[in-house]
Amino acid sequence: MKEGFRQAMAWLHTWAGLIFGWLLFAIFLTGTLSYFKNEISQWTQPELVPHQVTEVDSVNRAQRWLQENAGDAKRWFITLPDERSPALGLSWAKARGGFERKSLDALSGTPVQARESMGGEFFYRFHFQLQMPYPWGRWLASLSAMVMFVALVSGIITHKKIFKEFFTFRPRKGQRTWLDGHNAVAVLVLPFHLMITYSSLVIFMTMIMPVSILTTYGGNTQAFFDDLFPAFKTAPASTETAPLAPIAPMFEVAAEKWPGSRIGLITVNNPGKANASVTLTPSGADHIPNISGTTLMFDGVSGALKDESTMSAASLMLAGGLYGLHMGHFAGPLLRWLYFLAGIGGTAMIGTGLVIWLGKRKLKHAKAGVLPFELRLVEMLNVASMSGLMLAVVSFFWANRLLPVSFAGRSDWEVRTFFCMWGLALLHAFVRVFFREGRSAWREQLTLAASLYCALPVLDLLTAGDYLFASLKQGQMTLAALDVTALITGIFLAWGAMRFGEGGKVAFVSKLTPTDSRRKSDSGVSANSGSEPARESVRADATAQEAN
Amino acid sequence: MLLATLLCYIGFTALCLSMNRHYDDLIGGSLTLGRGRALKLLGWVALLLSLWVALASQAMGQALVQWFAALMGSAVLFVFVMSYRPRLALSLAGIGALLAPVVACIQLLA
Amino acid sequence: METLSVSASAPEKRQKAVKRTGARSGEVSVRWRLAVASRVTAALIGGYLLTALSSVCLAQFLPLARAEAVVLAMTLSFLVYLPAVLWCFVCRTAWRAWFGLLLPSAVLGAIYASARWLL
Repeated sequence: MKEGFRQAMAWLHTWAGLIFGWLLFAIFLTGTLSYFKNEISQWTQPELVPHQVTEVDSVNRAQRWLQENAGDAKRWFITLPDERSPALGLSWAKARGGFERKSLDALSGTPVQARESMGGEFFYRFHFQLQMPYPWGRWLASLSAMVMFVALVSGIITHKKIFKEFFTFRPRKGQRTWLDGHNAVAVLVLPFHLMITYSSLVIFMTMIMPVSILTTYGGNTQAFFDDLFPAFKTAPASTETAPLAPIAPMFEVAAEKWPGSRIGLITVNNPGKANASVTLTPSGADHIPNISGTTLMFDGVSGALKDESTMSAASLMLAGGLYGLHMGHFAGPLLRWLYFLAGIGGTAMIGTGLVIWLGKRKLKHAKAGVLPFELRLVEMLNVASMSGLMLAVVSFFWANRLLPVSFAGRSDWEVRTFFCMWGLALLHAFVRVFFREGRSAWREQLTLAASLYCALPVLDLLTAGDYLFASLKQGQMTLAALDVTALITGIFLAWGAMRFGEGGKVAFVSKLTPTDSRRKSDSGVSANSGSEPARESVRADATAQEAN
Repeated sequence: MLLATLLCYIGFTALCLSMNRHYDDLIGGSLTLGRGRALKLLGWVALLLSLWVALASQAMGQALVQWFAALMGSAVLFVFVMSYRPRLALSLAGIGALLAPVVACIQLLA
Repeated sequence: METLSVSASAPEKRQKAVKRTGARSGEVSVRWRLAVASRVTAALIGGYLLTALSSVCLAQFLPLARAEAVVLAMTLSFLVYLPAVLWCFVCRTAWRAWFGLLLPSAVLGAIYASARWLL
């Protein structure tokens, strides 16, 4: 009975992991990149230079610009620059419907003059919307998250010796190493995996599990959100006009009420009207849980504090805490890098799982030397979803530097480059896997990716070197850090590509089957079914070479 | 947080050494029952102590997040170093054991 | 009957399972495929139904302010979804999977309905 249970869990882990693995790999990789969303945006818009400006100066500039340019809007949103994003972010709901955004230079208070680019926002959006129309992408991402949760827990149950093999990683042992690596990145970083998976469901819970809102509030979902975020209730604009009070003095009240916390978001309702109101929300960078229900509300005309609400109920802190942990807005540089590394761990867990699935099944066909169609299909998707995605990511950065700065629609073309590259990688993987063998697909894509990543710093120097040097002179490490990260990624990919090198294959074949040279060009896997130990070594080496 | 991280690393090293196979790989020879138990106890105590140190040093939310980071980071570091450079993994634990009291004293005095 | 372990990953496990079920090795019957499809559907839809109903009951009975109870009910609901999905793949037959989800769903629905409209 117990063994049957474990077997069923292993089956579930295997197939849930395979079918959603490719998508989850992409979700995890882009999510990992999103921890450096603002930094990536800084790299893709190097014209934006951070300035030393006070909150008060920033908000004054924002208010002046919005009064002149969006005076008739229903609502303004202002985010102030901080150490991770240099620009002043403005957005507003237009009087006749629709939404507009603008970034201002924090020093001059004029719209930033930078190349158009989505930057880190692109990876962030892709991470949960998958470039699909609303709300389908979010639903698919949520479904993947649930499958991930199931795969994680069924994997823990399947893994018999979770404590006994806690410290076990045996390098250079073929399939064994892949399995050890899969277990190690899963178990050692397990708290992160569980947190990130469960919190992703919590983030979208009002979309994917809304029944309790409907039964409790009788279909009036807005009442639920008004209960949670009382300060964001919308009131119809009054017909009387009245000048908006300056926002900056309200910051003094906030500093008194929330010591040690900066202002994250400023919301102005019905600006310029007699019933205008201003709502301040503390910055997410200073709190772990997402507390967007904690607000100070001011009268928009007199500037007096009207209302104050604090989000502190345990259940709200649980949900908000999971939300905040997922986003990691609070993380300083060290913790942010750890988040990034843990994310790579999750991505590697998924990748190794996919490789193991194929490696195990390839062993069965090692003798025949020909892979059946479905295994080739899996291999093609493995190549395209992993090395192909790495290629797509780097091509986004290349496009950012190579497309002319003033080119119309260049931001869209960056995204198009990303998907074209991914599509080409899929095509290449198809041709190689079905007409030659998988190893060449891996080798060629990894080699190309490695050279593109390694050359990215050079490209940056040639096309935007002035910005790089200027930022270094100011003591800003962001641009250089991205270049160095790309270089390290490139070196890692080059190491991966070398593992697929021709030399390794020949050595492997000659070691195992010195007499049988006919099969070696077939698939790279050839086996003589001799004694049991010999077969074992074939297994180990075949997967080291083949599944790699 | 440095102290908590050091304690985590020491804890994982002790827990690893409390297992026969790893003891043989890292130190050599077979592990006596008593020593195995002592190492296991030391390991868990070090991990619990690191949690206490983290909680004592700052607000609970930050402390828990940072402790988990220290826990996962030191485990990954230990397993990775142990797989390729077993000697180095042990020396790091030794250095950690020497440093931990010093760091603790500095934190107490500060 | 239709144990899922027929296609468990390791070859030796498969052989064991095959011996037990008496099926021919290497072939997956239509019947088996249908059973797996049924289990997947049960996990997705039946599991969702059970999860949704438990969150509805939680939101109704938790002694908290309305919004807080709803948030907590939604936050915890996925902890119900998980065992529901696992159950669908652990139990012996696909019919049992459906039965094991629909029965508690019916109970939860009845509890909620009686609390809402009878009391």
